[in-house]
Amino acid sequence: MTSTGSPSCRRSLATAVSNHPVSRDLKVLEVRLPGPLDFRPGQFAMLNFPGPHELVFGRPLSILAVQGDRVSFLYRVVGRGTAQLASLRSGEPVTFLGPLGTPFPAPGGRRPVVLLAGGVGLPPLLAWWQRYGREQDHAFFGARDGGDVPWELLDPAWQISVDRPAGLPATRQAEVGLVTETCRRRLGEPQAGAEPGLVQACGPLPMLRAATTLAASWQWPCLVSVEEHMGCGYGVCRGCVLPGRDGSHLTACQDGPVLDSAVIDWESFGGEKT
Amino acid sequence: MNERPSGSDHTFPPDSPASEFSCPQWWQIDPQAPFQLGPRQLPGRIWTASGCFGYGLTGHEITGDDHASPYVGLGAVVTKTLTPEPRAGNPMPRLVELPVGALNSIGLENVGFGHFLDEVLPALAKQQVPVIVSMAATRPEQFGVMAMRLQQAAADVSCWHGVELNLSCPNIAEGGHDFGSNPDTVTACVAAARPHLGDRALLAKLTPNVTRIAPLAEAARAGGADAVSAINTMVGLEVDLVSGRPILPRRTGGYSGPALLPIGLAMVDAIVREVAIPVVAVGGIATPADALKYFALGAVAVQVGTAQMRDPFAAAHIAASLRPARR
Repeated sequence: MTSTGSPSCRRSLATAVSNHPVSRDLKVLEVRLPGPLDFRPGQFAMLNFPGPHELVFGRPLSILAVQGDRVSFLYRVVGRGTAQLASLRSGEPVTFLGPLGTPFPAPGGRRPVVLLAGGVGLPPLLAWWQRYGREQDHAFFGARDGGDVPWELLDPAWQISVDRPAGLPATRQAEVGLVTETCRRRLGEPQAGAEPGLVQACGPLPMLRAATTLAASWQWPCLVSVEEHMGCGYGVCRGCVLPGRDGSHLTACQDGPVLDSAVIDWESFGGEKT
Repeated sequence: MNERPSGSDHTFPPDSPASEFSCPQWWQIDPQAPFQLGPRQLPGRIWTASGCFGYGLTGHEITGDDHASPYVGLGAVVTKTLTPEPRAGNPMPRLVELPVGALNSIGLENVGFGHFLDEVLPALAKQQVPVIVSMAATRPEQFGVMAMRLQQAAADVSCWHGVELNLSCPNIAEGGHDFGSNPDTVTACVAAARPHLGDRALLAKLTPNVTRIAPLAEAARAGGADAVSAINTMVGLEVDLVSGRPILPRRTGGYSGPALLPIGLAMVDAIVREVAIPVVAVGGIATPADALKYFALGAVAVQVGTAQMRDPFAAAHIAASLRPARR
């Protein structure tokens, strides 16, 4: 542990253990490190391949789970790097730098935590749920349709929303609509005078905006986990910034990925102009 | 397994222990031994390049399989470039990965010189990280003012070894690249800083975005530089085919990474052959073999840039790998 109490970061040569699909386009990669790892839900690792003429930069993947020296990641192929990761087979080497970034906090007191996950934004919130989830907390996951949902990873407490009611298994329920709409419908309005809860969201930008709006309508704080292209992943290159409300630039890799949505300049985020 | 060429040329740090790299017979210098650069003795010859390792790792720690810290064996950390006032830097996107390099347009984002002197340098001094302070300005006389302030604030900081004048950042509209391609301004900038630096080393970082680089090295020498750092990034552009527009908001950025190695080697060779000034080589170094090629041409030290962003132990691995074999 470092002086700040977060798990210390390690750079290691890891070995792929397994790499298998859990939905139409989500895969889980498990790697083995030389020793056990500690992490906090919301943290990520930079993965890359040995060899200077492979990827110039690693790929940031959110940590789904750790068991001893085994670390798993949930990811989707979106480009050259993730395509290369998707081709990793058991026994092949992969470089690991992590855990990195600011995590979601552990729950405090009795106040309820509402998790809103969209698509490949699931791993930090699923990791949080598995470590901290309590009776008063609520977990929502949204996807395009049933084929996009990694059913085997989600216990029945997760409420599923889909854009289209296709590919749904007979044994599981899902609502049609946006994940934020399902959440509002299920939870209703908070009781007057009740202790405010906390919304924690990770997913596509429109979903993060909707989550922020939902939390604001309840006068709850909202934490979002943001995604940006990264260079170093460990805070030195300043390549992965997003606009802060105070005019500063926030790094997704070090200030984030988990940020209080109140510190983000949402008008500029995702379409920052010169 | 991935199909990868074998051999030292392609061994990327630090996936193989340093002992696996065998130095050629002609290499007899210990890069972790102190060496003289102008008025200053530097603790080693493998440095990290400006902009690629922050201001060092202030505030967090990283351990590796083979090294306790990324600082092990490093001769210097060249800081992210500091400007007289803080800069927010350029809008996103700032970084584009390409097949053999990266295009960046960070825009000299930095905490500002005052904050660096008050907060960052003392933290580096506490950890005894060997530091070269990179600075940029828009007028030659500002380099003199910054050098004076640094000398006043850090005269007692023994791990501060020198300054590197960034005369070549292509990502800011004023100063920067245009500045550094004119030999007269190069001389003026170096001459402005020199009188204030005492026994600290003064380096000028040169732009490769010129027809001939040697005249710039000569201009730096004439101004009183102890060494030149060569090369900075090359101006490049990438197009987004969906929109049909350049990806970077400012159109061009600085191209770095493995693709720069042969270009850097040619430019360093030109300087070594034409100008009597020590060269600290930077450009495309990712492996011990890459660094050795620059040393073979006569570089006195090397800096690891983009590879350090990829792997915080890249420079430490090179420093460990280049210890010559005992005969």
